[in-house]
Amino acid sequence: MSIYLDNNAGAPLRVEAKTAISRMLADSAGNPSSIHRSGQRSRRMLESARAHVAAIVDAEPRQMIFTSGGTESNNLAIFGAITAASRRRKIISSEIEHSSILAPLAELERRGFEVVRIAPDSDGRVDPARVLAALDGETALVTLGLANSEVGTIQDLAPLARRCKKSGAFFHVDAAQAVGRIPVDVAALGCDLMTVSGHKLGAPAGIGTLYVRDSANFAPTMFGGPHEGGMRAGTPNLLGAVAFGAVAEAAMNIMDAEAARIDSFVASLFTRLRETIPGLLLNGPLAGRLPNTLNLTFPGVLGESMLIALDLEGVEVSMGSACAAGAVEPSHVLRAMNRSASDARSSLRISLGWNNTADEIDAVAKIIPAVWRRVADAEPLAQVIAL
Amino acid sequence: MKPRVLVAMSGGVDSSVAAALLCEQGYDVVGVAMRLAPEPTTPIAKRRGTCCSHDDFEDARRVAERIDFPFYVVDLRTDFAARVVDNFVSEYLGGRTPNPCVMCNREIKFDRLWSRARALQADYVATGHYARIEQGTDGRFHLLRAIDASKDQSYFLFTLGQDNLARTIFPLGAMTKTEVRARARALGLATADKPESQEICFVPDGDYASFVERRSDPGQLRPGSIIDADGNRLADHAGVHRFTVGQRRGLGIASADRLYVREIRAESGEIVAGRREELDSAGLIANRVSLVDDSIASAGELSVEVKIRYRHRAIPATIRVDADARAEIRFVSDGPAVTPGQACVFYRGEEVLGGGFIERAIAT
Repeated sequence: MSIYLDNNAGAPLRVEAKTAISRMLADSAGNPSSIHRSGQRSRRMLESARAHVAAIVDAEPRQMIFTSGGTESNNLAIFGAITAASRRRKIISSEIEHSSILAPLAELERRGFEVVRIAPDSDGRVDPARVLAALDGETALVTLGLANSEVGTIQDLAPLARRCKKSGAFFHVDAAQAVGRIPVDVAALGCDLMTVSGHKLGAPAGIGTLYVRDSANFAPTMFGGPHEGGMRAGTPNLLGAVAFGAVAEAAMNIMDAEAARIDSFVASLFTRLRETIPGLLLNGPLAGRLPNTLNLTFPGVLGESMLIALDLEGVEVSMGSACAAGAVEPSHVLRAMNRSASDARSSLRISLGWNNTADEIDAVAKIIPAVWRRVADAEPLAQVIAL
Repeated sequence: MKPRVLVAMSGGVDSSVAAALLCEQGYDVVGVAMRLAPEPTTPIAKRRGTCCSHDDFEDARRVAERIDFPFYVVDLRTDFAARVVDNFVSEYLGGRTPNPCVMCNREIKFDRLWSRARALQADYVATGHYARIEQGTDGRFHLLRAIDASKDQSYFLFTLGQDNLARTIFPLGAMTKTEVRARARALGLATADKPESQEICFVPDGDYASFVERRSDPGQLRPGSIIDADGNRLADHAGVHRFTVGQRRGLGIASADRLYVREIRAESGEIVAGRREELDSAGLIANRVSLVDDSIASAGELSVEVKIRYRHRAIPATIRVDADARAEIRFVSDGPAVTPGQACVFYRGEEVLGGGFIERAIAT
């Protein structure tokens, strides 16, 4: 049985999601847009799910648009914002965003938009002052992640909302990694748009939401039926939404206790690894980080080799991002944080989740140093060609 | 505990069957596909049938899923570029004709990959090569030609020494290609009827000259003249990397005789052309010579058969190996054109004794 430590890629299905899905499979419901009673029942389930998902970020249910997940939410936020802000041609973001932000921005750059990508500091923090310095009357959108998926750094975004509003730019927060792990409040952040993903929380992949504060000033990008308040056409993924609602409700109820539990696991794991692996480096800040994420540079080894060796020992972690062929690419986030290419290749991400146990952490704290020693001995980085 | 073997999988039928056979034989198989090519040279839609494409990795993955063993794609592009591709380019720029498959075996599959195998606690590395390894009663390992003479790949493996052979498995050495395909079909492997890959994997369009030009500075290219044996200028050319000794096509010369490349002088940029019979040689000097079993070096002059190109027949010769890993090879009767840069492999019957890289021909 493997020990799953890759929750930032996707959490295992929570029992609440399984229960909700089983219930729906047993009682197949109609289209929430239909007039008949089956349709009405579906609509009630959808709206109840929406309320639970809204509650976790302290939004109004009507402000939550169901999408197919974080990537669609991010795309909708970006393309919706630039469509609404038709004459403005500038977008501000950072170098350490998720590919579902960076790739749309690269596409818009090809189409003639000006894209400003703020570099983070060596802990992965994006300085709000630098964002504000780039903000002007041409800016259509400011889009930033609340918590970084690879190193877990939490950004200080509170200073941005007022100035964005004043200069008429949309302010989008990608909170896919943050929601359910730390308290997130749309009102406190003051953002116009926020991405929330279901499967990071233990819902199935294929469901997410975009929070839209004021839909009167926002433009849809997908057209069809009048679903989701006209903001996202297409019959909603009811099965996913119901699971998402159940998971959001559960996560909300236990968030503080869960964060404390995960925090103590991560602290103990990091302490033990630091004691047994000389030269181990933590990427990201010591404080102001997601409680569940540990990004570590293992001295003298290739992360790829460690990752595979750990998998063969039943410990599942990740590194950078997978290419189409299934090979791993070094993290663009670590490179942006000024880590060397070699350090980036020696780094792994360990991300805990709701299903990890103390026994698992205990086992992992023994397995990782043993694997590191073996890999460092068998395939020392110094013997691998200069990178 | 079952011995663990790391199987290098290309996505082709041979390595697929090799992995399947090892599973049947009770090994703990871990499959790896190596990402090697430094540049995507052709659009994805056209890449079918060449090594290292996304499709090939998916084919290998499907085999691993069907037979149920772990499979990973490993990124060895930097190693491959530094240890194989750079050498390929500099050899062409130096007027030689490299054999990157030999280098890849020596540097990547049986060296670099072995480090990875140890990191993954594997006891062996296996490939789908057609060659055999046998251990004698004295404990020494022997590298032998494949049973299927038409597929024999022992030529590419001459650099393997005792240490390598002790930890290497070639599951297909005793099988014919027909048997391998039949086995793949019986196992329901998607790769059963996949066509052979022929070209050098990292130059799938087969245009070596353009590849060399893309990967070198213009100042490194050596353009010059094509001359005859008397030094008369016959034509001009764009670089010595475009020629190989023994080549006939592409000289761009109208002549009563069929002209071949006889010699490449990289320093001066001169290509010496000649008639076919002028290409014959009495033997060759090889460098970077390695022996499968070093103990034979002490025997002084050895009578062997040598193969100076993969597709050539082995011809009788005598060899003498120096202390500095150079060897003088004398053909028993005059031999064909000798192409510097290619491998010269020493055989005794079925057995590979060793080999080296051709430095130059010995004139008749």
